[in-house]
Amino acid sequence: VKLGAYLIWAAFAVASGVIVLLGYFVRLEPFISLRLMLMRWAVLLAAAALVIGLINLLSVHLTKVSEQEPGWPYSAVLILLFSLTLALGLFFGPDNRVVLFLFNNLQLPVESSLMALLAITLTIAGFRLVARRRDVISLTFAITALLVIIGTSPWPLASDSQVHVGMTYLRTWIAQVWAAGGARGILLGVALGAITTGLRVLMAADRPYGE
Amino acid sequence: MSTLDFVGLGVLGLFIILLVLSTALLRRHPPVFRPIPSYQSLGTAIQRAVEAGERVHLSLGTGSVIGSDSAPAFAGLAVLKHMAASTSMSDRPPVVSAGDGAMAILASDSLRSVYEGLGAGDRFDPNSARMLAPTPFSYAAGLPTVLGTEDISVHMLIGSFGAEGALAADFGERRHLFVLGGTDDVQAQALLYVAAEHPLIGEEVFAGGAYLDGAPLHRASLTTQDWVRMLVVIAIVVGALLRTFGVGL
Repeated sequence: VKLGAYLIWAAFAVASGVIVLLGYFVRLEPFISLRLMLMRWAVLLAAAALVIGLINLLSVHLTKVSEQEPGWPYSAVLILLFSLTLALGLFFGPDNRVVLFLFNNLQLPVESSLMALLAITLTIAGFRLVARRRDVISLTFAITALLVIIGTSPWPLASDSQVHVGMTYLRTWIAQVWAAGGARGILLGVALGAITTGLRVLMAADRPYGE
Repeated sequence: MSTLDFVGLGVLGLFIILLVLSTALLRRHPPVFRPIPSYQSLGTAIQRAVEAGERVHLSLGTGSVIGSDSAPAFAGLAVLKHMAASTSMSDRPPVVSAGDGAMAILASDSLRSVYEGLGAGDRFDPNSARMLAPTPFSYAAGLPTVLGTEDISVHMLIGSFGAEGALAADFGERRHLFVLGGTDDVQAQALLYVAAEHPLIGEEVFAGGAYLDGAPLHRASLTTQDWVRMLVVIAIVVGALLRTFGVGL
């Protein structure tokens, strides 16, 4: 029974993948329509998966609260705000004044603060990198980052000097020649890796949908 | 069909032919890959976690299954299978988190199938794989609680990350965990190089299955990537030479 079920899922996944992929290259009506239909199904399923994901999230935190696991007060706050936001959204709609207030005054500031925290985090991580990994690559990375920061940031003094102009040119040279060249090489590798990963799923060699 | 469509199909066909060819060839001549220190250290770190009764956390990032950024998360799922098999003897199951509901379901399914395959289906905990939060920074904000309250000692980031990946890695570093991080985004890779002790650069994020599991098709796909890379390099050099000598393309 297990073998049969696995074959059915694999056949469906492979057939859907091949149709969607061919729909991008073969501009014939049946392929285009089938691709669009499968993509619409995928969007619907992804929306349903989001609901399942939220139920799973709630279940994890309910378990933490009921079993008084470490950090359960955080879970209690999450459940409370989750229920409140969900109820407000369901009864009054996502554009309601209170829902928007909660989003603009809780969600957005917290996310913006984390973004701001990133600058501090990276500075500390930069020092940690130099202290921990004392090799040529890390040293080159740190020096390049420092030169780019100096060349990009405004200078309170001597902003008209030749040194500042030179640093700006150096920054541009590093960013447009070395960094762009390196990034293209990395992107090429990433693209090749992504293609083979996709092909493995398409050939049912990797089956993330279970056995 | 336009010329570009034919070229696209041709490249795809070439990939499939080379993949099948290398799978057949490598059975007789197993390839030797360069060592990737991050993956070498990961095996030891997972063993230590199992022996110490601690948990392993895999973060699949904030990419969605239906988006163009799903590939690194699928590579993460391949690593998850190895991780689940390695930790199946432990009484502390691994924790997997994702920013996408569908990815969390796939992670849960992968875990379940590994446990069932090993005859330890009763050890599968449906709460092991979970969706943390749907937006990148709220996902990062949810990580410290997971890392701080679930006895985690290995923190892996293999999936689609943006700038929040650096925060996610740093939360692990602050707790002195083993932190391994890889993604497909070039800028996020630079951030992870700084923030994670064991970064994965470029296509290394896709090599986990081959390095950890050693499955034939995973190893063959690495060889195929190298072959196609050589073809692309030759094409770039020939194109540059032709341009230099004034031959129009």
